[in-house]
Amino acid sequence: MTTDEISKNKDQEQYEIDTLTNDRLIKDHEYDGIKELDNDLPPWWKWLFYISIAFGIIYLVRLWVFQSEDLYQVQEYQKDMEEAASIVTKPAADFEIKVLDDPASLANGKDTYDKICQVCHLIDGGGLVGPNFTDNYWIHGNTMEDMYQIVTDGVIEKGMIPYKDQLSPTQRLEVLSYIIKDLHGTTPANPKAPQGEELEWPY
Amino acid sequence: MAIEKFTYDNKLAKSFAVVTILWGVVGFLVGLIAALAILWPSVSMEMPFLTFGRVRPLHTNAAIFAFVGNAIFTGVYYSLPRLLKTPIYSKILGWLHFWGWQLIIVLAAVSLLAGITTGKEYAELEWPIDILIAAVWVIFGWNMIATILNRRTRHIYVAIWFYLATFVTVAVLHIVNSFELPVSLFKSYPLYAGVQDALVQWWYGHNAVAFFLTTPILGLMYYFVPKAANRPIYSYKLSIIHFWALIFIYIWAGPHHLLYSSTPDWAQALGVVFSIALIAPSWGGMINGLLTLRGAWDKVRQDPVLKMFVVGVTAYGMSTFEGPLLSLKSVNAISHFTDWTIAHVHIGTLGWNGMLTFGMLYWLFPRFYKVKLYSTSLANTHFWLATLGMLFFAIPLYFAGFTQALMWKQFTPEGYLKYTNFLETYTQIRTMHLLRAFGGVMYLTGAVLMVINLIKTAQAGKFARYEEDQAASRESGNHGAETFHRRLERKPVTFTILALVAILIGGIVEFLPMFLIKSNIPTIASVKPYTPLELEGRDIYIREGCYNCHSQMIRPFRSEVERYGEYSKAGENVYDHPFQWGSRRTGPDLAREGVKGKMYKPDSWHYEHFVNPQKTNIQSIMPPYPWLASNDIDVDKIPAKLRAMKKLGVPYSDAEIENAVSALQKQAQGIAEGLRQSGIEVEDQREIIALIAYMQRLGTDIGKASASGMTSK
Repeated sequence: MTTDEISKNKDQEQYEIDTLTNDRLIKDHEYDGIKELDNDLPPWWKWLFYISIAFGIIYLVRLWVFQSEDLYQVQEYQKDMEEAASIVTKPAADFEIKVLDDPASLANGKDTYDKICQVCHLIDGGGLVGPNFTDNYWIHGNTMEDMYQIVTDGVIEKGMIPYKDQLSPTQRLEVLSYIIKDLHGTTPANPKAPQGEELEWPY
Repeated sequence: MAIEKFTYDNKLAKSFAVVTILWGVVGFLVGLIAALAILWPSVSMEMPFLTFGRVRPLHTNAAIFAFVGNAIFTGVYYSLPRLLKTPIYSKILGWLHFWGWQLIIVLAAVSLLAGITTGKEYAELEWPIDILIAAVWVIFGWNMIATILNRRTRHIYVAIWFYLATFVTVAVLHIVNSFELPVSLFKSYPLYAGVQDALVQWWYGHNAVAFFLTTPILGLMYYFVPKAANRPIYSYKLSIIHFWALIFIYIWAGPHHLLYSSTPDWAQALGVVFSIALIAPSWGGMINGLLTLRGAWDKVRQDPVLKMFVVGVTAYGMSTFEGPLLSLKSVNAISHFTDWTIAHVHIGTLGWNGMLTFGMLYWLFPRFYKVKLYSTSLANTHFWLATLGMLFFAIPLYFAGFTQALMWKQFTPEGYLKYTNFLETYTQIRTMHLLRAFGGVMYLTGAVLMVINLIKTAQAGKFARYEEDQAASRESGNHGAETFHRRLERKPVTFTILALVAILIGGIVEFLPMFLIKSNIPTIASVKPYTPLELEGRDIYIREGCYNCHSQMIRPFRSEVERYGEYSKAGENVYDHPFQWGSRRTGPDLAREGVKGKMYKPDSWHYEHFVNPQKTNIQSIMPPYPWLASNDIDVDKIPAKLRAMKKLGVPYSDAEIENAVSALQKQAQGIAEGLRQSGIEVEDQREIIALIAYMQRLGTDIGKASASGMTSK
């Protein structure tokens, strides 16, 4: 008998073999009929574990030793903001405050109105928290220039927030054009009582 | 070696199985109501207890603690005596456990719908119920450990390691997260505030997933999979390594719920690295489950029990791979606050917990009633409904989560948010929510088929309450060479203590610096306690479960600062007992709701919106809260609330507490007067006034600092 065969025989003495897989069962490991095999940890599993631990060590070393910028969220944020400032396109120099009456602009304006303005002025412009746009009474003037200034800077003490950070200049023109051209003069379902002074309609 | 005869009593396990099924169906049904309430706000029918904010906590609590909880106890009371060859230590303790747990569930259901809540996710139950939970849990552990000490086997099997780890860890989690100061029978404030509360809460929340939805179910897997397949466990060595690695590492990973929040970077980093390190230990369990089926795959094709186990264990593998991925900051920046998280947890619960439980029940009932399962084809139908239901549930939500996150972050070339109106980003994913509800209906239908099948099975047989077994008595003394771990398996008390040590380390390392080192939460001098009216408003906010849809945490992203205002700072929440950062933005973030900038709306808008959100936008999915305009504030409790807050460290002066009621009335009068001027008929003492006061305070304190340059570090 070679040494190999001897050790094999020894093994067979010590271990029972699971016939379906040819794996060794562990002696005396039986719980309510459940036995356990003596298989080693799968190598790929061990490597997965090692690599995930290495990832953690590298991550923490980068955080604490090298203080890598991308792991500190405020620095990451500041970098993002600087990048954003450099890619944003500035509004055209020839920008002019005027009523836009092409259908595309009015459609865009309606889109913006229905998403944002209606929350306070209602979908039909009848007014709720904010004033009615359909009548001839105006609190802060009724020209495009007046209204543009209100949308841009707001009237915060009355609850109208500034939209200069939320709507582009063109979007502001579009939505005001929609109010001026399409909403004003219509008959809303529940019009809010007139507010401000009656002004002659310039458009 | 004397052979001893003894008897198992199946009644306790069977009773737990019956309530598992009952609460399972209830939990799924409540989930469906919640899904419909998101789609159609009119589902709430203007009744407080049907609003999403109250139904959702009931759904999560029912699914986790009633359905999965009872399933765990079913499996433990069935497997434990058989693995140890001894009956359960005490039937009385067992029945106290059973009825105590059912009482907790009923109290939870009633109190959550009534708006009695602590406002901390998955730990919403108020202090009297918390005490009851602790007592019942101790009864469970006592009975289990005493049974283990009575055992006839020399060693304890891997399933029992998981049961023990579950017992000690859930006890620690529940007690530490439930430290709260009662104000009345139904109201308390948590000991911790702001960032600290968030850290404790998500240490708890994450490890409730780990030690209530994972480790005990792994224990069940280690018993029922090899039993049902009649195959040996794939690898004992793997059991040892993955068990200890899993319980040690899991406890650290909680802060991955707080990525990009105002939690310090080092704590977030620990959340990231320990989550990644969890992949292999979790997969160790999956491998040991699936590879145990080697040599039995032919059976898997025919046996619905094994099919369910395979899908369940596979779902476990998927969600424990996905979880660590979601813990990477770059992925989390997209997934967090979206439906992605909801999809992820449902792969875990519907797949892993649900399938393991269903498989176990289909295996147990024929054995309880000594009869074949009534219908294998019905069980197969259930298998397909559950599997496809899970996919129909999760896939639309992945799509929805991704879509909404991208919409939140999209800018126009001019540098404006493309989707300025938050609601637009919801309307876009509404169809996905419809599909999700359909997936839920499929899953629920499958469960109803199971109910029919199991009832028919029970009717065909006769309940075999007692089962005889025999085993040699346990011998003491040394039996030759044993490995260290093998020796440990003979010493259950030492084993339990070591498990306790393993799970305490992570929590201690994360908590101590957060509580002791001041620089972790830089103070902001201008941040002041809430006025009595605002505090009352905040309590109403918590009662209505607003945090279930609205976050209060602006992350330091360009897109969030652009939408909501300055990102949230740790020092802003130091008086927030509890914190209300939320976990899902079904509605917009409210951290800066009161700041007169991007999010601001006047009092009158808030009034109109609370009473009828569809009036301000027909597409709004927020349910109406008309009762806020007719309920009166309970002013009698105000001084007690301030006193409790003072005990917790909120600097209210004695004069402020003494004058709390008049201060409240004065502030309320001012708001109500303003509303009346805008044409709204409202009385000073209504709850809506308090809630408006709270809304208008949110996020405003740091603005006062930058105005006067008073920020201190």
